[in-house]
Amino acid sequence: MSARDAILAALGPASGDDLDRAAAALLIDPERPPVDPTQLEETFAARLLLPSVAASYAAVAGFADVPAAIAAYCAEHGLPRHLCAPPDPRLDAADWSGIDRHLDPAPDEPLALAVAECGVAETGSLVMRTAPTAPMLPNFLALHHVVVVPRLVAYLEDALPTEPMPRGYYWITGVSGTTDIEGTYVRGAHGPRYLHVIRLISEN
Amino acid sequence: MTAAFAARVDAALADPVLKIAVERTAGTAEAKRTLAVDAFPDFEAARTRAAAIKDHVVANLGAYLERFEANATAAGATVHWASTAQEACDIVLALCRQAKAKSVARSKSMLGEEIGLPHALAEAGIERIETDLAEHIIQLAGERPSHIIWPAMHKTREQVSALFKASHHAPHEEETIAAMAESARRHLRDAMLGADVGISGANFLVADTGAVCTVTNEGNAELSLVPPRMHIVTAGIEKIVPSMPHAVHLLRMLSRSATGAPLSQYTTFYTGPRRPGDRDGPAEMHIVLVDNGRTRMRREGLAEMLRCIRCGACMNHCVVFRQIGGHAYGGTYPGPMGAVLTPAIDGLAASRDLPNACTLNGKCQEVCPVRIPLPTLLRGWREKSWREGLEPASVRSGLALWAWFARRPRLYRAATATALKSARLMGGGWLSRLPLAGGWTRHRDMPAPAPKSFMDQYRQGRRR
Amino acid sequence: MPAPDRPRVALFVTCLVDLMRPSIGFASIAALEDAGCEVIVPEAQTCCGQPALNSGDRSTAADIARRTIAALEGHDAVVVPSGSCAATIRVHYPEILEDDPAWFPRAQALAAKTWEVMAYLDEVRGWRPTNVDLPATATYHDSCSGLRELGIKHQPRRLLAAVGGLGLTPLAGAETCCGFGGTFCVKYPAISNAIVGEKAAAIDATGAQLLLAGDLGCLMNMAGKLHRDGSPVRAFHAVEILAGMGDGPAIGETA
Repeated sequence: MSARDAILAALGPASGDDLDRAAAALLIDPERPPVDPTQLEETFAARLLLPSVAASYAAVAGFADVPAAIAAYCAEHGLPRHLCAPPDPRLDAADWSGIDRHLDPAPDEPLALAVAECGVAETGSLVMRTAPTAPMLPNFLALHHVVVVPRLVAYLEDALPTEPMPRGYYWITGVSGTTDIEGTYVRGAHGPRYLHVIRLISEN
Repeated sequence: MTAAFAARVDAALADPVLKIAVERTAGTAEAKRTLAVDAFPDFEAARTRAAAIKDHVVANLGAYLERFEANATAAGATVHWASTAQEACDIVLALCRQAKAKSVARSKSMLGEEIGLPHALAEAGIERIETDLAEHIIQLAGERPSHIIWPAMHKTREQVSALFKASHHAPHEEETIAAMAESARRHLRDAMLGADVGISGANFLVADTGAVCTVTNEGNAELSLVPPRMHIVTAGIEKIVPSMPHAVHLLRMLSRSATGAPLSQYTTFYTGPRRPGDRDGPAEMHIVLVDNGRTRMRREGLAEMLRCIRCGACMNHCVVFRQIGGHAYGGTYPGPMGAVLTPAIDGLAASRDLPNACTLNGKCQEVCPVRIPLPTLLRGWREKSWREGLEPASVRSGLALWAWFARRPRLYRAATATALKSARLMGGGWLSRLPLAGGWTRHRDMPAPAPKSFMDQYRQGRRR
Repeated sequence: MPAPDRPRVALFVTCLVDLMRPSIGFASIAALEDAGCEVIVPEAQTCCGQPALNSGDRSTAADIARRTIAALEGHDAVVVPSGSCAATIRVHYPEILEDDPAWFPRAQALAAKTWEVMAYLDEVRGWRPTNVDLPATATYHDSCSGLRELGIKHQPRRLLAAVGGLGLTPLAGAETCCGFGGTFCVKYPAISNAIVGEKAAAIDATGAQLLLAGDLGCLMNMAGKLHRDGSPVRAFHAVEILAGMGDGPAIGETA
């Protein structure tokens, strides 16, 4: 008997209830931190300041303003205007003169830019998905991670994919941190040490 | 107490550093969890829901596993099944050989530890890069994890510093924890990016999408699973959740219970291999579903233990764990959950001390996010140990004698009167040495017994 | 059924109180009588069976449970000056007898009317000590079984607040186990000692003169450690204080 058959035989048939209905019944009115739907912007911005997230934040109007926001971030942190950026047509449409963009991240990439699906007010999470226009690796490699957030939702449930899952679907809620040595929190364990959110107000 | 357990306990209690190290990490986790739970609207109701979700899954596990398999396969992943630890390791090694892997990057997984994967990879001559910082530390030290969330919690900064200086190519110069972490970052990055295979566990397996969910604070899973051409997941069959919203509820509970954070820094759902046009991601994804005793646990009265989401709250809040640390438990999983799991995995005869070395104070159950009745399950192991005659003869005969009297009130009174009479010879007040109670008086004084029992005094008319 | 005006209450003394500190039993009687109860001490009682239960000897535990049920059931209520022994009757008797069709209903019926003494005085009788004074500072440890299996937390504090002159100082980690654990403390003495060592230090750090709790096992463990460490803190069962016996010898003191 294969291991599969042995395991399934040992587990026996399902309990006989309608699985989907029983599973759905477990999700009615889930307990979760309340989010005021009229205060999504304020709540999201406040969550970014939590110690476990510790992201900086800038608000601009739309995608056309992203290059200037990046330039300001680079100036503030003394970084060259040189970054790894995804081949996202919404970014390409902006004017990037004076800023050098490349597609493939270097192993010691200083700055990577990404576009989130949305931000989540409940947790301050940035919702990401892989696509030909959205690689994953740069977001975990670069020291500075800058994420454009075109839209906000209230709860994690609101951010879940409705169409088939992308290969990678992920929530970023802070930087690469560790408490593995004596419980002391260190930022930049493997990946980003800094997280910067550029919120696009007029895209919502 | 078995000699092996006694030796591990003595070593732990004699280690002046261990207590400090454990207290620092577990104490911080306890304080942060309390804040997070107090801030949550109705954590008790949320625990009840979490337990109900897991019970629903465990009751219908076969159906959900088939559903997961179908959806993961449709997304392009290959699903493997393993009844035993050995089978699971064999599958992983065969996949590594198929990928012609010289090195694998591993992202911390307790299931991997449980099935002995680090050892199996070493035997097969495959270089293993542990990418979680704590796992990297204990790999350098040649040790096992001492906690399921903080595997290196028993190590001090000085010990970590020495390990890094002896093995990193460009070690830190400044003796700070930040500099040590930076040294590991430099050291691990190239190895991670150059690995042929990435191996992870799973925090959740989502049945209706075929997604595998990992949770990390370091981002090491993502960094080590995206570049290699093959991603292998090893996961216990109980990791299933019906759908993404179910995973969301359990994630809220997991992070708050483990670290007190509303959500861990990186939560990732992997569904199948690289898609056409993707710029990165593995070409192959393999998922190994591991039983290793879980179907037996479900059948033999331990179904509630299969709710466990591996948050570590039970051990962080355990008075025994806080004194002896994780290694003293001698298994893959320490603390209360380990005391329930280890006898199921390694056999009760070798681990019967674990369910006994517990005060049954109930704190673990109180903090468990999925309401596992840990004390009840530990009592269950004690009963099995008693039935199977594993308890020492001295304990059995002592208890039998006591029970014989306890069933016979009149003889019990006579015997206790005699005992109290002879105890009077030892004097009153505090006793610092007592026959047959050396375990007590080695460490504390014993109040002298009453000159006369309550029952005798009452019978003789005393009322106040 | 409404509680009778003068309920007939069986006192289950517990084996530890019987042999080690009878004054806790007499204090319980005094408080219960003051609260309007007729107190009966059934002759056939011995031990609740916890040593067997916690050692895994379920059949002996069940046997002792049946005998204890028979000894106690013919009363309006059963009152126990110990959270852990009360919890054994209230929580564990129905569990260990659930497969015994003759005894399970009797176990359930007894469980429903069994109370830890301070919970009974406070919740059922609404009693408060009157004219009891003890000018002293005390700290209170919540014993685990009472706290987590019976929900005893506020009852002793409400009762002690009515003792004139008594000040309660909060104990850091009041809900943390003292390391007694019944047979645990003699089976794993080194671990138990490490746990009670921390508890004793926390008690000392309150600066209180008295340590109070509701379980003699835990009290003997903590008081024994405090005494070995040379601490001046004196220990009483809280019901002794409530019955006005706080001027007598503390645990381990000669009369």
